[in-house]
Amino acid sequence: MTIMALVLIVAGGGGYLWFRMAGGPQAVSSVQQEAQTTAPAARPDEPFMATLFVPADGALGNVIVAVKRHPELQLQAREVVAALFAADQGKRASVVNELRLRALYLDASWTVTVDLSAASPNQKEIRASAEDELLAVYALVNTLTQNFPEVRQVRLLMDGRVTQTLAGHIDLSRAYVKRTDLVKNQ
Amino acid sequence: MRTIIGSLCACLVFISSGANAAEKGLAIKGVRYFSYSGFTRIVFEAEEAAPYVLTKPGDGRTLHFSSYGGPFTVKVTQLPPINDGVVKGMELSQDGEHRSILITLGPAAGDTKDFVLRGPDRIVVDVLRGTAIAPSPEAPGAKAPVIVLDPGHGGAETGIVTGQGVEKALMLELALTIKRILRKSGTRMTVVLTREQDQAATHDERAALANTSGAFLFVSLHAAQGSAGRVFILDPDEGQSSPSAGRPSDFLGFDAVSEQQQMLWGTQQAGHSQESGRLGRNIARALAGREGTEPAQAPLAQLKAVDAAAVLIEAGTAMSRVKAAEAIAQGIEQYVREKR
Repeated sequence: MTIMALVLIVAGGGGYLWFRMAGGPQAVSSVQQEAQTTAPAARPDEPFMATLFVPADGALGNVIVAVKRHPELQLQAREVVAALFAADQGKRASVVNELRLRALYLDASWTVTVDLSAASPNQKEIRASAEDELLAVYALVNTLTQNFPEVRQVRLLMDGRVTQTLAGHIDLSRAYVKRTDLVKNQ
Repeated sequence: MRTIIGSLCACLVFISSGANAAEKGLAIKGVRYFSYSGFTRIVFEAEEAAPYVLTKPGDGRTLHFSSYGGPFTVKVTQLPPINDGVVKGMELSQDGEHRSILITLGPAAGDTKDFVLRGPDRIVVDVLRGTAIAPSPEAPGAKAPVIVLDPGHGGAETGIVTGQGVEKALMLELALTIKRILRKSGTRMTVVLTREQDQAATHDERAALANTSGAFLFVSLHAAQGSAGRVFILDPDEGQSSPSAGRPSDFLGFDAVSEQQQMLWGTQQAGHSQESGRLGRNIARALAGREGTEPAQAPLAQLKAVDAAAVLIEAGTAMSRVKAAEAIAQGIEQYVREKR
C-alpha cells in the first residue's frame, strides 16, 4: 500500500514536471508579467534616446537626442531636462533661454517637481509673451511625460519656491499634465 | 475714542508672546489686502507677534491700527492703494509720538472684525460690507454693464521690451484708447481700468477689483512680438485635483465664511467658461478680420479669479495700436449688445 502511494506521488510529480516543461499554462506572478511586457533592459553604456519638445514658431516641435543613461528615473529625467535647456532649438526659445535647471525631484505619487531659476543671477524679471511662456511650460511638461510614461504630472518652482508665474501670465500654482494640441505636426 | 475693538486680541497676543512683547512694540513688514464681495480683508504681516490696538473714533469712518505699548514700526515703503467702496484708503499717521496706520472706510463699510494668525504672524482686519448703506439694487437692465480693462504688468514689472516701447506703457495706452472708443460708442457701458498709471498690482488685486466692481466682462491686455493679435481664455484645469489644492501658503481664513471664500478664490472663472469663449471669439474675429477664428486656451493666472467673462489679448507690437484698439472695442461692444 505504501509502495503504491509512493509510486503514485512520483508519477504525479513527474507528470507535472513534464506538463510544465512542455509549455502548458503557468501561474505567472505580476512581477514576472511586468518583466515580460517591458522591453529588454538597455545596457548601461547605451545612450537614452530622449524626445525633446522645443518651442518653435508658435508651437512645440520635437527632436530626438541621445543623452547619458542613468539607472534611476529621477536622474534620467534630470538628464533629459538638462538636454532640453542645452538643445540648440531650446536655446533659441526666449523663455527657455532665460531659465536654468536648479533641481528636479520625483515623489512617490509620480509627480516631478522641476526647480528653475533665471539663467543670469542679475536678471530680475523674465520677459516673455503669454504664448512664449505657455510653450516653455509645456516644453518641460511634455518632454517629461513623453519620455517617462510613469510621470503623472509636473510642477514648476522658481528658486525653490512656488511662484505665481514665470513671466507674468501662466499659472504655476497648479500641476500640469501632457498637452498634445500645442505640438506641431511634423 | 468710541470703541476699542482690538483689546481682546491684544491681550491674546500679549500672553502668548511673553511679558516683554509690549515693550518691544510691533513691527509691520508687509501690508496686503483682498476685496471680496462681502468684505475687504487687510492683512498686516508682523515681524513678531505683539500686542496691537485697533480703534474706531467717534465719526465711525476711520480705523486706527497701532501697537499696544511699545513702538510701532512700519517697514513698508508704500501702503497698498485700496479704494473698493468698503475701504477708501490707508495712510501712515503721526500724532505727536503716536504713530498709527489710518484706515479710511468707504461708504459701503459696515462692521469690523479682527483676529490674529500665527506662523507667520499676521493681524487680519476684515471690514464687512454693510447692508444698511449698500447701494440698493437697481431694476434689471437699468445699470450700464461694467467693462474692466486690465493693462498688463506695471511698476517694476515691465513686460516685454521692443522697439515700439515697453509693454506696461504700451498696454496702458491701448487700454485708454479702447476706453475712449467704447465711451463714444452707442452702447451704454461703464469702463474701469485696473490701473490708470504705471503702478504694480497683483493678479489677485486686479481680479478683486473686477469682482467688486461687478464686472460684466474683463479684458487683460498684453503684448507680443510681431504683427498678429491673439486671444486666450482660461483652459480647464486638468492637473489640479481640488479647488484648494496647490493654493499658495497664504491661507488667511479663520471663520467659516472667510474659509469658504478663501477656498473658492481662484476658481471663479470656471463658471464663466462658455461666456469667456463667446467674448474671446468676438474679439479674435474682430482682430483677425475673418470668421472662424477661435480663442486659444491657456492656464492664465490673470483670469482664474475673475467672476465674469474674461479673456487675455496679446496684441502684436507691430500692429497699429489704433486698429488693435478699434478691433478689441468692436468685439467687446458686439458681445455686450448680444447679451443685453
